[in-house]
Amino acid sequence: MRVALSVTCVNDAMFPETGKAVVRLLRRLGCEVDFPAAQTCCAQPMVNTGYLDEAVPVVRTYVDAFAGYDAIVTPSGSCAGSARHQHALVADRGAVNGSDPELVGAVAAAPPTYELSEFLVDVLGVTDVGAYFPHTVTYHPTCHSLRMLGVGDRPRQLLEAVQGLRLVDLPKAEECCGFGGTFAVKNADTSVAMGADKARHVRSTGAEVLVAGDNSCLMHVGGVLSRQRSGVRVVHLAEVLAATEGTEGQS
Amino acid sequence: MSGTFVGMPAFPEAARAALGDTQLRHNLAHATGVIRAKRAAVVGELEEAGIWEDLRLAGAAVKQRALDDLATHLETLERTLTEAGATVHWARDAAEANAVVARVARAHGADEVVKVKSMATQEIGLNEALEAEGIAAWETDLAELIVQLGDDLPSHILVPAIHRNRAEIREIFLRRMADVGRPAPADLSDDPAVLAGAAREHLREKFLRAKVGVSGANFAVAETGTLVVVESEGNGRMCLTLPEVLVSVVGIEKVVPTWAELDPLLRLLPRSSTGERMNPYTSTWSGVTDPDGGDGGADGPREVHVVLLDNGRTRALADDVGRQALRCIRCSACLNVCPVYERTGGHAYGSVYPGPIGAILNPLLHGQGDPQTDSLPYASSLCGACFEACPVRIDIPEVLVHLRSKVVDSHRGDRVPKPEALAMRAAAWAFSDASRLGLVEKASGLSGRVLARLSRTTLPGGRPAAGRLPGPGAAAWTGARDLPAPPRESFRAWWARTDGGRTEPGPGVGGEQATDLPGRPVADAPPPEPPAAQPGSAVGRQPVPEPERLPAHRSPSAPADPTGARAEVLDRVRAALAGVVPTPEPVPAPVGPVGTPAQVLDLFAERVADYRAVVERVAVADLAAHVAGLFAPTDRVVVPDGTAEALLAALGERAVPDDALSWADLDGVDAVLTSASVGVAETGTIVLDHGPGQGRRALSLVPDRHVVVVRADQVVPDVPDAVDRLAAAVRAGRALTWISGPSATSDIELDRVEGVHGPRRLHVLLVADPATAVDRG
Repeated sequence: MRVALSVTCVNDAMFPETGKAVVRLLRRLGCEVDFPAAQTCCAQPMVNTGYLDEAVPVVRTYVDAFAGYDAIVTPSGSCAGSARHQHALVADRGAVNGSDPELVGAVAAAPPTYELSEFLVDVLGVTDVGAYFPHTVTYHPTCHSLRMLGVGDRPRQLLEAVQGLRLVDLPKAEECCGFGGTFAVKNADTSVAMGADKARHVRSTGAEVLVAGDNSCLMHVGGVLSRQRSGVRVVHLAEVLAATEGTEGQS
Repeated sequence: MSGTFVGMPAFPEAARAALGDTQLRHNLAHATGVIRAKRAAVVGELEEAGIWEDLRLAGAAVKQRALDDLATHLETLERTLTEAGATVHWARDAAEANAVVARVARAHGADEVVKVKSMATQEIGLNEALEAEGIAAWETDLAELIVQLGDDLPSHILVPAIHRNRAEIREIFLRRMADVGRPAPADLSDDPAVLAGAAREHLREKFLRAKVGVSGANFAVAETGTLVVVESEGNGRMCLTLPEVLVSVVGIEKVVPTWAELDPLLRLLPRSSTGERMNPYTSTWSGVTDPDGGDGGADGPREVHVVLLDNGRTRALADDVGRQALRCIRCSACLNVCPVYERTGGHAYGSVYPGPIGAILNPLLHGQGDPQTDSLPYASSLCGACFEACPVRIDIPEVLVHLRSKVVDSHRGDRVPKPEALAMRAAAWAFSDASRLGLVEKASGLSGRVLARLSRTTLPGGRPAAGRLPGPGAAAWTGARDLPAPPRESFRAWWARTDGGRTEPGPGVGGEQATDLPGRPVADAPPPEPPAAQPGSAVGRQPVPEPERLPAHRSPSAPADPTGARAEVLDRVRAALAGVVPTPEPVPAPVGPVGTPAQVLDLFAERVADYRAVVERVAVADLAAHVAGLFAPTDRVVVPDGTAEALLAALGERAVPDDALSWADLDGVDAVLTSASVGVAETGTIVLDHGPGQGRRALSLVPDRHVVVVRADQVVPDVPDAVDRLAAAVRAGRALTWISGPSATSDIELDRVEGVHGPRRLHVLLVADPATAVDRG
């Protein structure tokens, strides 16, 4: 099975350690991933802001970059949701505005895009990935993985199997953190109000680390937690699962 | 009179003001928290029974089927309403609808009307239009009364005064009630039950004297010409049955094709809306129930008008993606779960339709171009909680994204593009070619180094970060959030430099061997399909056979169209639906598990008692003696025509026959004793079809105590059985009253109190032994 990593534009430019963690984790599990260098972005920033014309060439870049693979794995519920639920919509626009009439077929033929926890649990069939992370952790299920993809308790299954990790429940876990893409800037006051409530709930758990499957949400909540001098670190799920005694020190 | 939303600022500015109001945020968080918990409990029961998702699918299918062939159903509705004695008007817009209501009121010399809470009449600004004509419009729903007395604006669909707490409401009542009628008592406390009691006293004189009532409708059944109003307090029943004249303003999207298809909607709406298995009162009526109606006459208004309203609905209907928004049944579940609404409240949306549904409905009704309306599709983080809660499965995030693209497309011809448009074009340019993106990332890495050197902020864990930054986008982010500095090296550059980590030393990514782990992957297994939302299968019942035609009250003639509105609205509907293929057959809805007859009766008794009504089981032989003991010696008890002789004898002198009693007479008695038509176990509901022994609708409404006798063989398991059993009465032109507990309200801080305008005490006598109970089908 040929598996491609879609690292996502946010991770590529801002959180390369998450991408490296995915590579390390999958390699440890015996799954070699390629990084098709032609990849850029899933086009969600354009689509969710209403720029469908602009999204057409970006989706074209996505499907061309990953053509020929059996599966795409990505450390982002939001980007997986974009590929699975929005690319067809963008392709329709490409047909309507005439800029890329063949995109409809190309999107239909594209390999399936899996969010990391789906790929681990459903495709590789593994919940204990041999990780070691000796910290108290709380988990925020990001909206698109929770409601658009329906990843359910897969991330929790993975976290519960991590050695040394103590998982504590996050109050009102299923409520949005307030990131929402360009919402975070267009409606910054409301976004921050939501982020502040999420940060309050995180701090109430006493956890050292907030874990989620989307770095964009973590960048937002982490930004609030940092400004509050809370001392709570935010870490992507992939980095927790990739951690070993080698990276985290002996117990 | 209430204020108006005209001239509201765009959402981000309005939200900023609301977010600064800490009392408002406290009130909203409390109220939405309470109602979310109530909804979760009653929806959870149906999830446990395994039917909730199928019920949502059925509800969505019923409304979609109605919309997909709307012109046909509207013409059917017009015919059945007319046959039932109603006068049907068509309105292209708000002004036409308002003019109809004003004309009817003037024709009856009315200088006031009493109103049932109605979103359609809020939308068209009816109160203000009537005021301009010198006609006072009294809102009678408790929350609407609070808004109206407070010169305020509604901020929620179900609970328009959700932004007010009990202390504020007490102040409003004390200050304003005296200006418009009976004053609030001087010793008024802020106990919700006391506040509801003050509203009861204040409004009762208006109900008893009003000549004209105005309502909307939750549903309009085309097949039978039946309008449906779902409410809690009994103010709706007052307005629908006491005045001589009733005008109902009904959006054209309220149509439901057949009577049987009401079932899933009657189960979905109260659970999603007030978080109850069933709301206290549901009224259904078909045109004029009795032409001699009114005070002292027979049952209900003697003149009934229905205004079918477009006002932008055909514009929404023409939008292939947005059309689904017209399935909305105005339950407010999306508001209650929305994290944006919870923090900003409803006023920030600048419309009577706030929250997620407002963010799509307003642009769909009005189109693009107005900056306030154009800001609404962006008033969402696209978290999807609204879609998950919507009982008719409106994919609000999908429609939001679609409407954002319409806003963007409406600006494509701008001479000077917005900075955002330029940024998106630049992003598309970079994202269309990985080598361009690589260059951008190199520049970003450089900026990261500069930032890391200059900034004294570090994130927990040690990564350098930016604190407050200047510039529009950066300031919006960093006003309250630190921003990680870009890394020196992008993932892409790292991969190229280290061959995907293979040439990098250390514990990093390098060529570690796979450890022996449980669940090792099978290397060549074909990938399974990613999970997708399963469209659950609708299980259940046979469609109800085609009914026989109603006996006509009035012979149908060619419909009048004095203003041309009828032809134009129907033309717009047909144009909007060009190419849409209608669904010919009604959609079956799922049914829950059914117990034994004895269990059904037990459930009925338990669920009636849940509403804090009194339930007693009485043997047939003991009924008369039991009834005799229920009332004090001096009580006066109204008895409808057709009451059993034994019961009349038991009451003796206390019985007051309904000899064309006036409303004032009814207001003076202590209680009413009626029989019923159907009992519904699952929801603890009693349905009156106002046949013999059940009386005119006003009889079981105006007196403060209602004692009702239900026979075991009248109790059915659930709402679909009741809808089925009541179909014959509806087709015969009878009005129905569904009663679930005493009149109640949750309009003050979502705190439920029993007793507003309808009877404050409900006493149910369940007669006969369980063996006579009926099984389903």
